[in-house]
Amino acid sequence: MNPQDTFEYDPQILARISSLKLQAMGLVEGILTGHHRSHHKGSSVEFAEYKDYTPGDEIRHIDWKVVGKTDKYHVKQFEQTTNLKCTILFDASGSMGYVSSHDRGLSKIDYARTLVAALSFLLLKQFDAVGLTLFNDKVVSHIPPRSKPSHFQHLLHGLASVEPGGVTRIQDVIGGLVERLPGRSMLILVSDLLTREKTLEHTLRLLRSRELEVILFQVLHPDEVSLPFAGDIVFESLEDDPSVGLDPLDVREEYRGEIQRQIAHYRIICESLGINYVFLETSTPLEQGLSYFLLKRKSQVKQ
Amino acid sequence: MSLQFLSPIYLLGLLAAGIPVLIHLLTRRQQKHIRFSAVYLLSQSRQRSIRRSTPNRLLLLLLRCLAILCFSLALAHPIFSFTGPQSLLPESPSATVFILDDSFSMSAATKTGGSLFHSAAEKFGTLAKSIRKETSYAVVSGSAEARVWKGWADSGESVGKLISGSVASFQTTSMGRAIAEAVHLLDETSQPEKRIVIFTDLQKNGWTQGDLPEFSSGDSYKIQIVDFSALQAQPNRAAIESVSVDQEFLTNTRIVRVRAETRNLSKTQPLAQLAVSLWTHDKKLSEGMIDLPSQTLVARDFSFPQPGGEPVEGYVEIQEDGLMPDNRRYFTFQPDQTIKVLVVDGDPKTVEHQSESFYVERALNPFSVALSNIEPTVSTLNELPQRTIMDYSVVILCNVRELPLGFEIELERYVLHGGALLVALGDQVDPKYYNEKLGSLLPVTLETILTVPPDQDAFHFALEESGHRALNVFTGQPLLEMRDIQFHSIYDVKPREDAASSIPMRFSNGSPALVESDLGKGKILLFTSSLDRDWNNFPIQPTFLPWLQRWVKYSAHSLESLSHQDLLVSQPLKRWQEGLPGTTLFVQMPGGKIVRPPQSTDEILFRDTTHPGVYRVYQMAKEENPGAQEPVETVVPALPEGTELAGTFTVNVDTGESDPEKIPLAEIQKLLGNLDVELIPVDELDKSTAPQEGFPFTTPLLLLVSGFLFWEGFLVRRE
Repeated sequence: MNPQDTFEYDPQILARISSLKLQAMGLVEGILTGHHRSHHKGSSVEFAEYKDYTPGDEIRHIDWKVVGKTDKYHVKQFEQTTNLKCTILFDASGSMGYVSSHDRGLSKIDYARTLVAALSFLLLKQFDAVGLTLFNDKVVSHIPPRSKPSHFQHLLHGLASVEPGGVTRIQDVIGGLVERLPGRSMLILVSDLLTREKTLEHTLRLLRSRELEVILFQVLHPDEVSLPFAGDIVFESLEDDPSVGLDPLDVREEYRGEIQRQIAHYRIICESLGINYVFLETSTPLEQGLSYFLLKRKSQVKQ
Repeated sequence: MSLQFLSPIYLLGLLAAGIPVLIHLLTRRQQKHIRFSAVYLLSQSRQRSIRRSTPNRLLLLLLRCLAILCFSLALAHPIFSFTGPQSLLPESPSATVFILDDSFSMSAATKTGGSLFHSAAEKFGTLAKSIRKETSYAVVSGSAEARVWKGWADSGESVGKLISGSVASFQTTSMGRAIAEAVHLLDETSQPEKRIVIFTDLQKNGWTQGDLPEFSSGDSYKIQIVDFSALQAQPNRAAIESVSVDQEFLTNTRIVRVRAETRNLSKTQPLAQLAVSLWTHDKKLSEGMIDLPSQTLVARDFSFPQPGGEPVEGYVEIQEDGLMPDNRRYFTFQPDQTIKVLVVDGDPKTVEHQSESFYVERALNPFSVALSNIEPTVSTLNELPQRTIMDYSVVILCNVRELPLGFEIELERYVLHGGALLVALGDQVDPKYYNEKLGSLLPVTLETILTVPPDQDAFHFALEESGHRALNVFTGQPLLEMRDIQFHSIYDVKPREDAASSIPMRFSNGSPALVESDLGKGKILLFTSSLDRDWNNFPIQPTFLPWLQRWVKYSAHSLESLSHQDLLVSQPLKRWQEGLPGTTLFVQMPGGKIVRPPQSTDEILFRDTTHPGVYRVYQMAKEENPGAQEPVETVVPALPEGTELAGTFTVNVDTGESDPEKIPLAEIQKLLGNLDVELIPVDELDKSTAPQEGFPFTTPLLLLVSGFLFWEGFLVRRE
């Protein structure tokens, strides 16, 4: 049995799951009102089982051969497959665990969790297969893509049990993962992209070369963008950087310029590679992020 | 090698170095720790803005502190020299006796508020700390006592505490005795180098040849005198030399008169409007101003009524000058004491009124009750050896032929101790005996009897209005009456060449009627006629009574009663009346301390007169256990019951010590013969090896300050 199928009944994780589920479903239902149909039509029709005809079933699914033999109406049921497999890469490195001391809004990890949960729910609702891979400097856990509605529980559990830690090494992880990813599938990368690595461009290029459709969500806390601290502060790294003691006032301008440069850099790379890049601050409402994603998707499908 | 500071007060500024530290601590922000995600970005940012490096606050703090420290040190004028402090302490092992002058002239105030003695003690304290182990030293006080504070063997620590805790005494300087003591101490040691270091104000008083030891040519004591007189804030300008108290007698007002004699000690400067005040029982009674020309003694009289007749104690004070102890002089006075008079009748008769003493006794106590405060006792010559004349204030010899054998010696001792002797002549008197045996008592020799024939005019008093205290009441009618008294016979007297006397009354022929002379503390009066009616009609005149009473009281006033033992500091209290041995006495000292003097049969009753002031003597009314007194002086917490005030006496400072004149080095050198004497003014000692020989550190320190400030400014600007 797949170990992913068994949940650890940790009350904390369960509580997290339920709230994630509610939030994700709430978000998706709200956005998808009037867009119930999947844009991905299943091309594979694999017989699964017979079921007694009940009024309302499609008449064209009645197996007439069986009617002829048994004089009973049976409806053929098929296991629906989808042509989209989506893998969500979730950054579980230490830097994602940043919790602001003065901001009581969603923390970065919670924001990212809710985002991923909502995306998964949305995709599953469209019968797409969704997988989840948690990583820091290596793959922490991997849930392969499935399209069963019950798969959502697995994803939620996977999300809820994320404990941020370790160093971010996107290149290593994706380098090891890219071979296993199904071709022409979709990859959603959720990360703060706070890493010393300079090779993200190379990694993204590699993904694109595999004809993967990539969506990049960069999630940052407003503190990380604006550095609003004051006083004599020792900044201790959530990853493995050495601590830095300084007065933020002295470096604030420099820092802000640096982070904006980095964001602009990622945006340009993604644009050039045809990757959807979405920058989200945790202060941005999640609906906004999701709507943006759907809008992008819709426009791409139309193309 | 030494470092000294010319203005050490500025060293207090070193404390200001704490101010930057305080500011640093107060303004130091609390360091916070925050767990942050993009620390690598922060490091990058910091590296990029490295030009604005965070200021090294600790370095700034250090620079500021150093600047303040150097500035304070620079203000204190440090002088660095390679030679050690003054050569009071030689490098080689030696024996040194320090003489600390603790006479009362050393209690003069210094410019810094302490006393000269305090400065000397302080100087000694610092010196004692740096005395080497090989150097043995002793300490002797320079006042009259020449007390050894520390012998060779005593520990230095205790003597340091003793000296720093003590104050100048009220005694006079006795440098001779102190040096003699020092020489005595030095003779005990075997150290090759022997030195005497004297801390003094060079007060001239006390440098007397008599007390100094004999120095032989082989003596090689090195004497160094440290002169502290330069520290004195202001010179001693005036001193009260004496205070005398007497009473206006034979008046009903009972006025007590206090006469204070004040001397201007300055040779050049007159003192104008010097305040003199009289205090009794700690209350200011009156105050007056006197003008004192330089080097003169001016008397100021105060009078105040004392109707109750209770004893008076108080002091006269002049306004402050450089030296306090001689600005105040204490006095006590017992008004209207009963005067016991012994009348020796040289010609007793069986008929009372024919006796020589009849009129005298009546005149002294006219109503047989002690109204006049005079208590006469008549004695014949035969009874005289049984009498103790010391119990009487006045002895009157009336027409005495000659005294019992050896009695004249006793009489002389009595007068020397303050007794008064009134000698009246008559037909019984043997002039040869008087001239030979009483030569030391009487200032005149008896010559012949001058007798007026009956048909001629008798002798009279040639009396004018007189300022004499015994005679100043005789003015107007009484004076005329006095002039009418007829004297038929008088003795002609001739003054002795070697005796001083005064003649307050004369007869009309020019012969002395009354001859007054002083002997020791006592007084002798000689009346050249008789005190009965044999030679004159004086005894039946109304003026006889006041005349005789006034002379008796006048002469008795100089009697040594307890309150007339006006002692100087350290003079012992002597027995003031007979019959004291065996009685328990208590002396209450000016501070309130009560002491029971040891019982002794000596003349001296009490020695502990170290402080000026009024001392009260109490004695047991009833001796319960005579002879049980302890042989040593004991301090009593409170007066026991059954004691009564026997009297008071005063102790005052010796104004010989007040003289501001200093003894010059040449004179000291003359006194000390061929010894090596060096005089070091105290400020020279402070400067040790003269500052010009040292290297002043002020400028380098100021340069350092500017360097630190420049560096600090550079760091702040870079920030």
